[in-house]
Amino acid sequence: MVVTLNHCLLLAAGIFVVGMTGFVVRRNALVMLMCIELMLSAVNIVFAAFSRQNGDASGHVFVLMNFAVAAAEAAIGLAILVEIYRRRRTVDVDELKSLME
Amino acid sequence: MNGFIAPAIGDQIGVLLPYLIVAGGGLLVMLVDALVRTKRKDHLSFLTMAVLLLSVLAQMRGGFGGESVVLSGMLTVGDYSRYFNFLFVGCAVLTTVFAGAAFERSGRQRPEFFPLLLFCVLGMMVLAAASDLLTVFLGIETMSLSLYVLAGGVRGNVRSAEAGFKYLLLGGFASAFLLMGMALLYGFSGGTAFSDIARALAAGASDRGLAVLGGGLMLIGFGFKVAMVPFHMWTPDVYDGAPAYVSGFMATAVKAAGFAILARFACLMQPQLAFSWYPVLVGLAIVTMSVGNLVALAQNNIKRLLAWSSIAHAGYLLVGIVTLISPAAGNSGQMMLGREVGESAGAALLFYLLAYSLMNLAAFGIVGALSKADKEADEIERYAGLSRRKPLAAAVLAIAMLSLAGIPPMVGFMSKFYLFSAVVRAGLVPLAIVGVINSLVSVYYYLRVIVVMYMKQPEDGGYDSADTVAVSAAAVLAGLVLLLGVMPDSVHRAAQEIFRQITF
Repeated sequence: MVVTLNHCLLLAAGIFVVGMTGFVVRRNALVMLMCIELMLSAVNIVFAAFSRQNGDASGHVFVLMNFAVAAAEAAIGLAILVEIYRRRRTVDVDELKSLME
Repeated sequence: MNGFIAPAIGDQIGVLLPYLIVAGGGLLVMLVDALVRTKRKDHLSFLTMAVLLLSVLAQMRGGFGGESVVLSGMLTVGDYSRYFNFLFVGCAVLTTVFAGAAFERSGRQRPEFFPLLLFCVLGMMVLAAASDLLTVFLGIETMSLSLYVLAGGVRGNVRSAEAGFKYLLLGGFASAFLLMGMALLYGFSGGTAFSDIARALAAGASDRGLAVLGGGLMLIGFGFKVAMVPFHMWTPDVYDGAPAYVSGFMATAVKAAGFAILARFACLMQPQLAFSWYPVLVGLAIVTMSVGNLVALAQNNIKRLLAWSSIAHAGYLLVGIVTLISPAAGNSGQMMLGREVGESAGAALLFYLLAYSLMNLAAFGIVGALSKADKEADEIERYAGLSRRKPLAAAVLAIAMLSLAGIPPMVGFMSKFYLFSAVVRAGLVPLAIVGVINSLVSVYYYLRVIVVMYMKQPEDGGYDSADTVAVSAAAVLAGLVLLLGVMPDSVHRAAQEIFRQITF
């Protein structure tokens, strides 16, 4: 079977929706961070697929940049999460209520 | 934008100098902090301000007028981006003052604050000049990643950490949408430069649905950054949990950066996507204004009040964007009449952003000046009698509130006047009426703060100490609010000139 652009896009859409659903449904902050990573990976697939389709390298450049930014975001997220966990002993976002009125 | 002859590398560096200074300055401040081990960190805030002022000088070096496209089309540096850079740098300088004063009072230093602020400004400057999806992405992320730490990095303060984390989670979620939109637009146009997208749109490629979907997803991402309803849920919590000096920066410079790119992007997408793009933005503008103002009515916490007010102001600014891309404005430049409407809308947008930054920074500055180390001065009830205990702070806050409400002779009135007259000139009278009704509603909650400060009997537990440095800086802002309110012409004309030159 030949893998076409549409196959790639369907795969990416599936992963994106899984990430999005997970972000909305799950309350564990770590899982939510992972769901964001999942969505970003789906974006990478779309960029790579279109890049191959168009025979143009700028999509690949985008993917590389995306890796770097996603890693930075995860690092910052985990750092703040560790600080919260030290004080609260939980990573459940529903428990993080000190900002609610 | 393509078809320009790329300037020689030396000229490119000249154009990029302000960006290089801010980036290098951030690294320098970090290094100085690591090498100079002293208890007091005053030298860092002075160094930060020096870097920012140096970047302004570099900015003015080449004179004004003209656009140069650098880094093979990645950035378009012109008067539009320069205007925003001045705004960002101004906000950052004042934020440095407010932050330095807050560190002094609390006795708890945050040396990482200064380099992060500079990196944040760098991201915004890139964003305001971006003419490629890649620079839009990198600008937004440079700005946001710094902001997550600025908002969430107050050590030992779990409210700040929660605010930062909430911002990061929802910001990352929104970034994923933004990126997916970019990926689809890239697939549609076969290139990441704005010029490629414009060409593909103009050529009327067959899979237009891809462009509509991509543009829509990007709008969600931008909508989050500028706190547009229904992507605003993070705003009150984050502004509340973050220290006041960071909230003030987020409400002004960050919002301006978001609108800088949103205006450019909306103009890029508009001519060919009128059918799907325009009504959506009109709806979002109306909902954003109304929700922001109505919820603000019920707030007892001044930082949450200012957060909802900033959502409402995002709505007014969206009205400006709607006018900019309205059919009457004809931003593809075919009609003389259309050019004029587009120009007045664009100028109103730029002027509004400046006015809004001045008055909002003053308000957040006073809130920060009254705050103590462990408790921010956020309860409106405890402002009672402030006019007697701290007359200057109360006067500055009153001026800021009157201006936010849009009462003459403050600059807030002039900015709304320019905005709504541009809206009327574009023939969007119903939208102008909704906007004016909204401003009337907003007068109630802004005036309530003034009434509490000036007319209520002071009770025990009112805020009674204010930081002199921060109050004086806020007083300078209040002076500018009055000055620009009385003499808005020169700035407004400059803003008009900017839009006379560019065609996005």
